[in-house]
Amino acid sequence: MTDWLDQKLEARGLERADLFIWPFGMAVAVLWALPFVWMVSTSFKFPGDVMTKDIEWLPHRITLDNYIKVFNYPVIRWGFNSVVQATVSTFLCVLFGAMAGYALARMRFPGRDTLFYIFLASLMIPTEVSVIPLLLGFVEVGWASSYQALILPSIGNVFSVYIFRQFFMSFPKELEEAAKMDGAGPFNLFFRIALPLARAPAIAASVIIFTLNWNNFLWPLLVTFDESMKTLPVGIAAFTPVVGTQTQIEGYSVAMAAVTILSIPSLLLFCFLQRYFIQGLSQGSLKQ
Amino acid sequence: MTTAILQGHADVEAERHPTDRAGYLLVAFFALPFFLFNILPVLVGVYVSFTRWSIVGTPKWVGLDNFHKAFADQWVAVAFKNVFLYGLVIVPCVTGLGLLFALFVNKRYPLSGLARTLFFAPTVVSATVIGLVWVWMLDTQYGLVNYYLSFVGFDDIPWLTSTRWSLIGVSIASVWWDLGLAFVLFLAALQDIPGEIIDAARVDGANRWQRFKHVILPHLRPVISMVVTLQLISTLRIFSQVYVMTNGGPASSSSSPIHYIYNLAIVRNLFGYAAAVSLLLFVLILAITVVQRFLLRERV
Repeated sequence: MTDWLDQKLEARGLERADLFIWPFGMAVAVLWALPFVWMVSTSFKFPGDVMTKDIEWLPHRITLDNYIKVFNYPVIRWGFNSVVQATVSTFLCVLFGAMAGYALARMRFPGRDTLFYIFLASLMIPTEVSVIPLLLGFVEVGWASSYQALILPSIGNVFSVYIFRQFFMSFPKELEEAAKMDGAGPFNLFFRIALPLARAPAIAASVIIFTLNWNNFLWPLLVTFDESMKTLPVGIAAFTPVVGTQTQIEGYSVAMAAVTILSIPSLLLFCFLQRYFIQGLSQGSLKQ
Repeated sequence: MTTAILQGHADVEAERHPTDRAGYLLVAFFALPFFLFNILPVLVGVYVSFTRWSIVGTPKWVGLDNFHKAFADQWVAVAFKNVFLYGLVIVPCVTGLGLLFALFVNKRYPLSGLARTLFFAPTVVSATVIGLVWVWMLDTQYGLVNYYLSFVGFDDIPWLTSTRWSLIGVSIASVWWDLGLAFVLFLAALQDIPGEIIDAARVDGANRWQRFKHVILPHLRPVISMVVTLQLISTLRIFSQVYVMTNGGPASSSSSPIHYIYNLAIVRNLFGYAAAVSLLLFVLILAITVVQRFLLRERV
């Protein structure tokens, strides 16, 4: 009997101790996700069932009222702002990053390596240092609380250049040579040959940068003075008891409905494109 | 004649190493916003930190005044002390748990893909989600955490509303949020270790702990150093979760340098002073990065 068990384990490269480690580890993993379950569970409860002395994981009666109440606040507008901000800046960052990464990897021009080192070295500068002067600048030119202000500063994310440069460094020369023979210029070469083949780094860069932009907090908080120009994370942050008064008025159930809405895009993106997230992140930071 | 020869020579040179002018153009699309919005503000920030600047009116040059003020400001001291404590709590937790979780997922257990998803998921959501979920989890009277702690004999802990606990409360949420990146980096490093080495150690009779200590850990040294540095820097920059969960309170007990900078600029309109404090933070972060690079180079 025990021989049979040992053989089974051996075949999987496991030992007897793993019989205890596995269920324990899985329990920790489930525990790790419980705050999300609690968030969703609370968001479907009647306000009177939220602040109770006993914990009710599965509400005995559910309501959609909290989600409807969230829309009493300008969440549609905030959501629209967030979508515009995150998609436009991600698109530009990935496209420009691909162009720069391609040039830095495949082309030869004086100052190329210096430029790349400047890009890399800039990673040591925390964005927070530039935030105050940036805000002053946008106020000076009258662009505070505008889409320009939300979008422009997130285009220069070096991660995008880095990931494309890595990819194009190992790009087969022959593909380019053939097109060069046909007299294709460098732009043609990039857009017709190189870019369409860079699907993997493009997806990895897009999902990671989109998530960063979607979650971006400090800059939109600083630069949006009007309620109507807030992004979703900044707008919904006012549901917290210390910043706004919504939670006192509405209770935690509405706040949880709001953050459930806010977390859906990032969680969905992550669930479907998990592979790209993990590959991109480990590639992007490991080989600096 | 000579020019013709030189010309010819240059042509040969160009043939061998042709300069791709288009390269500048391709890079320019990225470089322009990069220099304008990421680099220029840092330089301007140095200037701003030597001025008195409220959002209306012209800036006034005040020399080192802002820095003198910062070193005498007790709230700057509090903010930097807090961020030191944050680092002391968050960095070891994220590094330790991240490594443990990665070791677990790296084994080919059934459902380890699911475990990977669950461990990483909190990292992809916004600080607003993290903050609000944990404000509710850590609610003194009705929070989930205190509810389960009461079973093991704890009284209700005022996680976010007392000066004694607020920093710990925010740290708990931060660990939950930040762990994913450390976890993924460890996992990638573990998967780079050739399986044969570990199998060989096993055949030689090394037990689990010996294999970890003598085979796996030496391989992980560089990545551990990197995770510690990345996490330390990200903790020095802690802001969003502080803003959402406690807004620095009560009585600044959970404030952080960026939170103080935010208050100086937005609430009190002291932009010059805010820029000076952020420059101090920058110097600290730069020092840590340089020290880490230096240490890594020494070893290699």
